[in-house]
Amino acid sequence: MDLLPFLLTQCLNALSQAALLFFLGVGLTLIFGIMRIVNFAHGTFYMLGAFIGYSSARVTGSFWAGLVIGPLIAGAIGAAFEMGLLRRLYRRDASAFLMVTFGLTLVLGEIIRLIWGVDALQLEVPEVFSGIVFLFDEPFPTYRLFLAGAGVVVAVGIWQFLERTRLGLLIRATSQNAEMVHALGVDVNLVRTAIFGIGCGLAALGGVLAAPLVTASLGMAGNAIIDAFVIVIIGGMGSFLGSLLAAVLVAFVQVFGTYYFPDFALAAMYMLMLLVLVIRPGGLLGKEA
Amino acid sequence: MVNQADILRRTMLQAAAAAGFATLAGPAAAADPIKIGIPVALTGPLGGVGAQMRRACEFWAKEVNAKGGLLGRPVELVIEDTAGNPATTVRTVQEMVERDGIRVITAIVASNEALATVPKLAEWDTIFVSGDNGDGRLTAESLVPNFFRANVSGPMGTRAVALWLRDSPMKNFYGLGMDYAWGHNSMDVFAAEAKRAGKNFMGAVFSPTGTKDFSTYITKIRQSGAEGVYLVLAGDDNNAFLAQAKQYRLGDKVQMLTEQVDQMSINATGDSAIGLIGSSRYPFSLDNPVNKAFVAAWQAEYGRPPDLFEGDQYQSCKVLQAGIEKAGSIEAAKLRTALEGLAVTSVKGPIVMRACDHQAEQPGFIVKVVKREGMEHPVPEVIASYPADRVTPPCNKMVYDD
Repeated sequence: MDLLPFLLTQCLNALSQAALLFFLGVGLTLIFGIMRIVNFAHGTFYMLGAFIGYSSARVTGSFWAGLVIGPLIAGAIGAAFEMGLLRRLYRRDASAFLMVTFGLTLVLGEIIRLIWGVDALQLEVPEVFSGIVFLFDEPFPTYRLFLAGAGVVVAVGIWQFLERTRLGLLIRATSQNAEMVHALGVDVNLVRTAIFGIGCGLAALGGVLAAPLVTASLGMAGNAIIDAFVIVIIGGMGSFLGSLLAAVLVAFVQVFGTYYFPDFALAAMYMLMLLVLVIRPGGLLGKEA
Repeated sequence: MVNQADILRRTMLQAAAAAGFATLAGPAAAADPIKIGIPVALTGPLGGVGAQMRRACEFWAKEVNAKGGLLGRPVELVIEDTAGNPATTVRTVQEMVERDGIRVITAIVASNEALATVPKLAEWDTIFVSGDNGDGRLTAESLVPNFFRANVSGPMGTRAVALWLRDSPMKNFYGLGMDYAWGHNSMDVFAAEAKRAGKNFMGAVFSPTGTKDFSTYITKIRQSGAEGVYLVLAGDDNNAFLAQAKQYRLGDKVQMLTEQVDQMSINATGDSAIGLIGSSRYPFSLDNPVNKAFVAAWQAEYGRPPDLFEGDQYQSCKVLQAGIEKAGSIEAAKLRTALEGLAVTSVKGPIVMRACDHQAEQPGFIVKVVKREGMEHPVPEVIASYPADRVTPPCNKMVYDD
């Protein structure tokens, strides 16, 4: 393989991975930034998305239906969880959230096992993206190009949502001063419910999109939650742009690190995290240092 | 005045009733069930394998009971979940022995569970017939008199692949394994076998357990220029690799080989597994009358063909059954003598439980995953089989002389 096609292939590999990492990290960072909640169940929502996406795609015969239904249902469950449980805990300290969301991972994980069983399930790549393109004679799956594209679209979408819509404005305002927003007559609880639902929905979106690469399996959640935390820590807790930057960085470090130093494949991501924490303890774009 | 005839009639009725009870009670006493302990991992990462093994035991018990039981007694399975934890397994079997009076166990999933259990078998006066445990040591340095292995061991699986390699026209091989003991171990064995077969082993790369993105590894395999790549991957990692390898069309250029092909990962990855070559402990497509009857009955019960752990565990149940019938008892001393040297016509053809190290001599199979008309998932098809005397290691050994 020549250098140029090699570099191109690896960069596109990294971008497609970055998209998946971004979906995972951005929801977690939004939830933390606005609600000050460390959502330990984030990986489980990612897994839930994959399983619901699998079933929806199977019933309707369309991957795209799964891509819409998975995040919607997972988001609704997340919102209901916020309304039913988390809301009662806002006056407690942070450890209460950690315990409750950790409990949710166990309950949801068990429910998924009861509904879908223990075997890994295959979600097929959608027909239109099942082919390959040739980059200087090297085959590259179009689905990975689609992933990278989806990452860009969702990132721009979230950015525009936060900047231009009324709900986006309320979300930003709530993150800065929830009491003031409340005093101005806005139902802050509703904003929190919305952001928790959206965050979980984004994780589920990542889960559905990742399923054709890794299959929907019970091991997804544990893997995902660690990646999500790493992204949030590198990017800076609560920073939207930070999570985007961190996802791209981590993906490039993983893809190239694995190639040149395969023995350090697992460590690459953590070494990057250590480096960032040493230089900028609050994360790349984090507010507090 | 009491009617003499009346008394006589009553007495006769009582006698008849008593006789009736006796005829009822007679078989009831003899029909004490034969209890078989199934300490199987149903939860945890091995739950999928455990579910297969339990299913095979249940299928076998149902079949035996439908034909009037074993030694005229019904078979009863006592099933307990061990979660794949060796300490739990030992405690579970202890309870089975003490509480339920169990003297025969099978269907332990993991080798480390089996290794923890075997030292206690003598004390419990219990026979353990393995249906899955692959660790070579169980019939070598860790062998105990009450342990029998009816299934294919790990070294036997690797051996089949090695024998196939010798006949293969491919010359250059590369490896991808999971970065822990099993991955490195199997890769070393493969590298040594490849060299012995006069092939060129070009090196290997190891991926951390839990790897999700295999794109870089796929790039490395492609760059190596090898004709075949040996995969030592399991579970989610294996599924992820196969799915992504297909998306990169890796199979067009490189033949993928693996130690063990199982239906679970084929089901999880669908067409991505097509073309994969590896050993199989039990390919359901075997062409012999015993197997055909088994597969047909299984298909009728579950609506799909049996998977490899189901077939291998079923074979173990049949070996156990033949042993109990020959011994006429489940007493450990008698059953042990009966099992030693026992010949059974199994789903894999004629097999022999050899006396020297309690390993069942049986053939080895190499399969290739193919798409078959009318099947929901791709299936493994036998492309080569090797006779028992070439696949089974020398007595009490884990390595082969040639």
